[in-house]
Amino acid sequence: MPTTNSSLYRETVRRMLANRVGDSPDAKAIAKATLSIWHQVFTRLKPLIGPRGTNVLFARSLHLTGAAYPWLSMAVDHADSKDLLADIKTRLEDHAPDVARAASYALLTNFIDLLTTLIGESLTERLLDPVWAPYPTSSQKERVA
Amino acid sequence: MSEKVIIRRLVTGVPGLDAILGGGLPEFSFNIIVGSPGSGKTTLANQIMFGLATREKPALFFTVFGEPPLKMLRYQQQFEYFNFDKIDDSIRFVDLSDDIAAGSFDRLLERITQEIRISTPALVFVDSFRSVMFEMHKRPAGDITAQQFISRLGIFLSGWQATTFLIGEYSSENDPHPVFTIADGLLSLEQNVYRNSMVRKIQILKMRGQATRPGMHTFSISAEGIEVFPVALVLDDTGNATKAANPVRSNSRLAMGVPRLDDMLGGGLPSGYSLLVAGPSGSGKTILATAFLAEGVRLGEPGVIVAFEQTPSQSWIRTIDNLVRAGKIGLINTRSLDLSIDQIVHRLTQMIREMKATRVVIDSLSGFELAVAPSFREDFRESLFRMFAVLSGLGVTVLMTSELEDRYVDLRFSPYGSAFLTDAIIVQRYIEVQSNLQRVMSVVKVRASSHSTEIRRYEITDDGIVIGDPVLDYEAILGGQPIRTKK
Repeated sequence: MPTTNSSLYRETVRRMLANRVGDSPDAKAIAKATLSIWHQVFTRLKPLIGPRGTNVLFARSLHLTGAAYPWLSMAVDHADSKDLLADIKTRLEDHAPDVARAASYALLTNFIDLLTTLIGESLTERLLDPVWAPYPTSSQKERVA
Repeated sequence: MSEKVIIRRLVTGVPGLDAILGGGLPEFSFNIIVGSPGSGKTTLANQIMFGLATREKPALFFTVFGEPPLKMLRYQQQFEYFNFDKIDDSIRFVDLSDDIAAGSFDRLLERITQEIRISTPALVFVDSFRSVMFEMHKRPAGDITAQQFISRLGIFLSGWQATTFLIGEYSSENDPHPVFTIADGLLSLEQNVYRNSMVRKIQILKMRGQATRPGMHTFSISAEGIEVFPVALVLDDTGNATKAANPVRSNSRLAMGVPRLDDMLGGGLPSGYSLLVAGPSGSGKTILATAFLAEGVRLGEPGVIVAFEQTPSQSWIRTIDNLVRAGKIGLINTRSLDLSIDQIVHRLTQMIREMKATRVVIDSLSGFELAVAPSFREDFRESLFRMFAVLSGLGVTVLMTSELEDRYVDLRFSPYGSAFLTDAIIVQRYIEVQSNLQRVMSVVKVRASSHSTEIRRYEITDDGIVIGDPVLDYEAILGGQPIRTKK
């Protein structure tokens, strides 16, 4: 499933997560950063592949992540993605920072891997890059302008 | 102030499509692409979009209920025209499935116009349109009708200077959807399965403001995407496009590469003529054709052979094979059963131009008929006629072979009635002389030229065809049972 550049890509995602969490991470900060990333991912993907399609991908990633972190995938029963994310945030907060960070990272990479198997690496990166980028990319700036 | 508006035509970049559209798509036109599932609608739309979208003229692709956007992105990127750099740069996909689910045309129209105001696209695609109509059965009271919806959408989009494509699934010609009236352009795709073959066809049913190429045109879908093979144009004598197509037939004659045959033809085959070599199996038609091409190569006249029958391992074909490998002649070798004649003609003309070929061999018409998809066989004769017209327009000299069942009761040249289409005919036959099979050949016709009328014996040797003397010692040989001429 993972493709050639995926380890490099995972590293980008890992670093981005670390960046957002800050220097002295506690579970709260990790949960907050996770929530904001997923909001961005959803904002990015929903117009393109539809809310339904995005939700299904997210549910599947959550299910896959449940193998290693069963407590995280307990949140799967929410119909609305907002409630679901809020629930995940609470669950992350309830765990030790290391565990919370690992679970959050696993969920993200599972989602990326899933999207990659469906639409390929180039397109996945193309669609999600703005989420990882610390600053808006040049093409984004133009669009905003 | 009396000057007419000039309608810019967008060159789609889909090979062959612009030709049948009559020069491209009119800018700001409102087009509908219809066809059965699997006929290539979405592929055509995507190929046009990737070809035309630029940062200055971006495209918006609305996906509605039909094909999930994720799937479309997954499959469309398999095609070579798919350009990752254009995604979210000059091409944006917008999913409308939730707006459709709400079941109101008002809301849908609102959403579409809102998106268009935001990104002011030059190109708008709605896929699939059928699902729009389908879902709207349960509309709230007071909602606009489907007809109004389309009409308003059309007005809005042309006002916003967008060239638009609705992709739908209507195919019933007897019951045209009211939407078709509003559309400026109507492109219909279909795939016909007949017996064991599948053939794709495209037809421009309507294109306002310009003359399109009428009829059904075959197209193929490969890794490169869609390629259309326009029906070969038979040129009329009104002067339309005839300048390029009516080559000056020089008075020169082509050497056949078989000793004494040139004399029989009255000094070689006149340049630009089509020659039919008809004969039973094993009579040496392919050898004659090979000699014709080899002689051309020797004289610096490149050739192209369309081979439908023999395998390159056979000895005479080996000569061809060597010449092909050396790049001296072009080879179109095909046994696919899904071809249209237009597809072959297209490849042939391309190769003739590339090689600057002056000699063309089609070996054989019987194989040709087998190679074209069954659904084209009914029109085979008509298509041959068009092919000859195109080849004649290119100014090449054509030699084609035709397998002839040996019948001694009648004198026939071709099972397709194609004899009248050709300028010259050579017929080969077997005769029985003293319990031996011997081969004879004769020149039956060379249009506007004197030629020998003798029936001559010939042999096939390792060096090729050796033509002997006229058969004077026997008569009634075309009946298959010659009798010794009384002295």
